[in-house]
Amino acid sequence: MKIAIIDYGASNLQSVANALTSLGRSFQIISDPKKLTDFDKVILPGVGAAGSAMEKLKESGFAKILPKLKVPTLGVCLGLQLFADFSSEGNTKCLSIVSGEVKKFKTELKVPHMGWNKVELIKESSLTSGIPNNSFFYFVHSYYLETEDKFVIGKTAYGINFPAIIQKDNFYAVQFHPEKSGEWGLKLLANFCDL
Amino acid sequence: MKILPAIDILDGKCVRLVKGEFDNKKVYSSDPLAVAKKFEQQGAKMLHVVDLDAAKIGKPVNQKLILNIVKAVSIPIEVGGGIRDIETARTYLNNGVQKIVIGTRAIDDVAFLSSLIQEFGNNRIVVAVETREGKITKNGWQENTGKNYLEFAKELKASGVVEILFTDVDKDGTLTEPNFEAIKKLLSLDLKVIASGGISDLASIKKLNNMGASAVILGKALYENKILLKDALKETAPISNLTKRIIPCLDVKDGRVVKGVNFKNLVDAGDPVALGKFYSEGGADELVFLDITATLDNRKTLRNLVERIAKEINIPFTVGGGIKSISDIRELLTAGADKISIGSIAVKNPNFVSEASKYFGSQCIVISVDAKKKDSSWEIYINGGKDATEVDAILFAKEMERLGAGELLVNSLDRDGTKKGFDIDLLNKICDAVNIPVIASSGAGSAEDFVKVFNDTNVDAALAASIFHNGNISIHDLKEVLQENNLQVRL
Repeated sequence: MKIAIIDYGASNLQSVANALTSLGRSFQIISDPKKLTDFDKVILPGVGAAGSAMEKLKESGFAKILPKLKVPTLGVCLGLQLFADFSSEGNTKCLSIVSGEVKKFKTELKVPHMGWNKVELIKESSLTSGIPNNSFFYFVHSYYLETEDKFVIGKTAYGINFPAIIQKDNFYAVQFHPEKSGEWGLKLLANFCDL
Repeated sequence: MKILPAIDILDGKCVRLVKGEFDNKKVYSSDPLAVAKKFEQQGAKMLHVVDLDAAKIGKPVNQKLILNIVKAVSIPIEVGGGIRDIETARTYLNNGVQKIVIGTRAIDDVAFLSSLIQEFGNNRIVVAVETREGKITKNGWQENTGKNYLEFAKELKASGVVEILFTDVDKDGTLTEPNFEAIKKLLSLDLKVIASGGISDLASIKKLNNMGASAVILGKALYENKILLKDALKETAPISNLTKRIIPCLDVKDGRVVKGVNFKNLVDAGDPVALGKFYSEGGADELVFLDITATLDNRKTLRNLVERIAKEINIPFTVGGGIKSISDIRELLTAGADKISIGSIAVKNPNFVSEASKYFGSQCIVISVDAKKKDSSWEIYINGGKDATEVDAILFAKEMERLGAGELLVNSLDRDGTKKGFDIDLLNKICDAVNIPVIASSGAGSAEDFVKVFNDTNVDAALAASIFHNGNISIHDLKEVLQENNLQVRL
């Protein structure tokens, strides 16, 4: 099995790589989109701002290929937001893999939403198999995705309920950082590798 | 949604009018300042103060008293009543008042609103939309203008107003229910709406909260104990299951973990890699790693250690100590750190913080705020707590937020290593000043100290070193104590 971690020059890939290593999974860090066809799993990590990330995805050519992938693909944190149609962070047109818009939290609570929060699982998915309902995951973000209920696997409360785990066909995405979320984060990554 | 207790002042006294009629009033207290303090003690996050005499005659009457209230409480205050010229607006907004409410003058003069918004920004100017039978009233609700309230609201929005205060005067002081229909229509214009008038029970508050009102003003209902402030606050508390974080800190010198007592008498407390793994597996929510003697010589050792620790843990990992450049940050992030704690250089060169947060994102920039009490304020120290800077800690915290810091790690040099508990005063002042996450550090001696810091302040996380390294209490046991005290933790 071959797993690709997309390197588009925008994020810190080391922690995702460390997590896969500790799970004993082999992977490759890929910066050439043409090579993606050699892999049967793809991870799109992401830290930073939507605008510059999309620019880099476009420049590198990943933006064209990603929506056409047929293999299981996992977006992490900003990676999830980039799956949407549009992000209000820098008014950015995104990949349109999942319908919906990314909006900034409007809450009296502190922004960014930073720390461990519960994920309520509302739909079954192989991605969350073996993970107890209401387990804690580690979040760091100021924006959230607003999308159709049919794509939402798990949700989290922070002022409002927002999607923490989504799935559309072969596209999976999580708003939290599974690679930083202890035991259950690793379990989710292992589930993804086993899809 | 905010809950704003109302203090309406007539002739120096705290009163409530019924349906806006000046002869139909009830005096609740002759000491509005004491009332303000009482609301603050009960947990109010903001107050709504009205100079009723001024609303009637068109110039400030109780201004001195209102400015005394502003000085006496530490929560923000919104002031309305008789603010009809730029000088009055300036007197309030330049003397600690958070927002002003413009009524009569806004109806007559849109240019006045524009000049206020230009001078103070749109988030400090609220416009009163006060109606009788759906038409706008002015001059302390005494005169009906015949103007439709929705048309008026649209005009306000077009002139740059973002927040309005809606009062249905026919409902005010009646303890019936607010005019939900009108509020809904106003919200649909995409304005922030503060609801006022006729709110008499928790159900109405809940409904307004769900509708998306930005705040409600409570007057008579609080004074007559129809609603308790604490219940209203609880009813509108935003939903969240975010936990309080417990963070063990590894102070590292020459590649070994040491525990510091007032940054002196360093004693070895173990191998950083083994200890990091131990805490990660033992339920720590995050790990902080501070190289307390960071020098060029051990830079490589540090990088190497960070790499080894990052491979062993799967919780967030903050690294700090001797950070001086963008390339220092990049090196540590590449080695596997998630966040970087920045100390002395943030004080010496604040622009570095802005540069770093633009480059790497706010989420990975943690600012170490090393503060020591000096008279009635706190002073920032640098270079591992050795050198005073004359920089005020609270102003520094605000400045760091503005420049893009993602989180503050607050060390109290007075409490460090004393095990006398966290510095609650300092932490409260800092939490009030910023809206980014705050980590409390220094002084933890027992589980009760953690309970206290989470109950008495708005910090998001608490950090400690020796209490954990010594095995005085395990992280798991500490979290059980926190849970018994109704604090949300990850267990």
